[in-house]
Amino acid sequence: MRQVLKNTAIFAAATLLTSVAAGQQIANTGFKSVGRGWPLAADLRDYQLTGPTIPVGFANGAVVRGSWDQFVGSAHHGAAPKGVEPLPVDLFTTKDFYKDRELWKDPRYFRCNSPAGIEEAWGANTTATIGDNPPASAAWGYCDRDYPREGIVSPYPFKTAQEHYEALLAETTKRGGAHHRPTAEQLEDWTGRYAHPGNTTDAQADWTGRNKSNSPQSYWYRGRHNQIPTILSLLTPEYQQRMVQEAYHAGNTNAPQWPSQYCWPEGFMRRWHEFAVWEWHIIAAPSVVQIVTGVARNFITTIHVDREMKTDGSVPRLGQDVPRWYGETVGFWDGDTLITWTSNIQGWKVHSAFEYSNKMQTIEIYTPNRDRSGRFLGLNHEAIFYDPEALVEPIRIIRNYVKTSGFDQGDPYVFIDCVQTIFPIEGRSTPVSPGTVIEYEVPDIYGRPWAHIWEKYFEEGMEKPKGEDIFSFD
Amino acid sequence: MNMKRTARGLVAATLTAAAIAAVPAYAHHSFSIFDASQTKTFTGVVTRVNPDANHLQIFFAPMNAERTNVERGADGKPIIWAVEMAGSAASAQQGISVSEFPAGTVFTVSLHPLRSGDPAGAREGALYKCPQKAPAQAGGRIQWQPPPAGKNCDAVQGSTAIGAGFDPAQQAQQSQTARPAGGSN
Repeated sequence: MRQVLKNTAIFAAATLLTSVAAGQQIANTGFKSVGRGWPLAADLRDYQLTGPTIPVGFANGAVVRGSWDQFVGSAHHGAAPKGVEPLPVDLFTTKDFYKDRELWKDPRYFRCNSPAGIEEAWGANTTATIGDNPPASAAWGYCDRDYPREGIVSPYPFKTAQEHYEALLAETTKRGGAHHRPTAEQLEDWTGRYAHPGNTTDAQADWTGRNKSNSPQSYWYRGRHNQIPTILSLLTPEYQQRMVQEAYHAGNTNAPQWPSQYCWPEGFMRRWHEFAVWEWHIIAAPSVVQIVTGVARNFITTIHVDREMKTDGSVPRLGQDVPRWYGETVGFWDGDTLITWTSNIQGWKVHSAFEYSNKMQTIEIYTPNRDRSGRFLGLNHEAIFYDPEALVEPIRIIRNYVKTSGFDQGDPYVFIDCVQTIFPIEGRSTPVSPGTVIEYEVPDIYGRPWAHIWEKYFEEGMEKPKGEDIFSFD
Repeated sequence: MNMKRTARGLVAATLTAAAIAAVPAYAHHSFSIFDASQTKTFTGVVTRVNPDANHLQIFFAPMNAERTNVERGADGKPIIWAVEMAGSAASAQQGISVSEFPAGTVFTVSLHPLRSGDPAGAREGALYKCPQKAPAQAGGRIQWQPPPAGKNCDAVQGSTAIGAGFDPAQQAQQSQTARPAGGSN
């Protein structure tokens, strides 16, 4: 439902967690393309936070937790919102969420929590909203706030990433631009540091010069503006179940399993998760572009220009038939715009979002944002996600990165190897001091290890639908 | 405790996007493992600092109330707590580093403890280093001056506050006074 934007956050609203404004600017392609730069069906700036949350702020480098008088939501501490009839059983009271599948379509099953709201119930990033009798006293978000599905799904007619990429390549060739590489000056523009979208404002990213908003940019994927059923509607039944399982253990059992806490791989889609990726560091050359990033500084995207994917395997790939945590990427230049295709990705998950499969592929377009004088402001990054196993149709994320400097100043980018200090103890992530002896089950990394922990420790008595029986030969 | 108000007035602060740039690594794990409704304050002796990228950790042995020794378990060994905070680079920007907190440093820290009861927590507010003893007092060695019985390092003349933060006591009071019994909007 469309809402009139208003400022609800006492903490000046200029924080990542409280942001109600957004940078929804699309790329300036200069022409009507077959598959890039199409407008969004809904502007996130028109939607308020779904909640529930108690906003967190940042000042002087420190996190400042909010208090209850800053609560964003419709009810808390076991109360129900006015005018909303709670369901007899919901995510916070159920004994078996698998049996409630029919209720998953109803936002009330999640107490109208956004995906981020569920995660904040126990204080994942900010003050807990779970109340005094958890989990039954969990808070409610606003049931009438929901960024629409139309703003999330891809507007383009393509069924596969390959089809999309080939259409863009053909279009660019027809326009005389395919493989027309950027000039040295344009590559110099590209090369350097770019700020996290939440650290820059709509106005800083706006190439039209019309947007004067000083609100941090945002985009839908963090899940602050959606009802969970809206996100579930994007997923196939198996992946719906996986997302509800994630929500249940974030909101009900407080046993979140974030991969990075155990130094497990972050996974491909964490590139879009707000707190996973901070500034970008881009090195651009005519034949290769490398983007290094990550809050833990361990993401590397290498775009191989004018290379071709092999298409004789289970999925298109550039190298060997081995799924890679961050995939393999090819691309081509259209002047100083770079159009890429990533495939051969290892399926994984993003906390509070949804899992994706080895069939995930993306088309990503990096279009320079330049002001009216031609000055390079940064890059518009449009990504379209194709995953026929997890998604019922392709989806899209658009964000804008503002360039902040070259590499001639500032701290160096230092690649970081994760050192594990947190281990699952009785199913709960626990910091463990050196020298401590613990019982440790070696995780099956390729078998949804997070789910194994949940099912072992927190789903006793539940009746999970049986999967395929590989040992039956009848 | 008489903690210095290093960030007094933060709650009312208007935050700018630029301020967010200083935010530490903050998504390595869910902070729901910690009980933010509780704040424990310790004065203890640093045993080790792990400069991990995601969260710098200080391991320490809490001192007894008399500040004459560290607390020990039934086996006679010091009980070790861990306090984690921002990533090592972000912490270093605040002055919290391996070199700034060598083993033996006596300091005071407030933390939100693990819900599980295990001896670890998430840092809250500034750290307070007790001053070093004069070389003559310490027999030529580097030694820190523990606070008087029942006191913390911030009460010792010559102590230093390190790291941005806000007063946990003030925050706890706000949370309690602002928390309604229940309600709906």
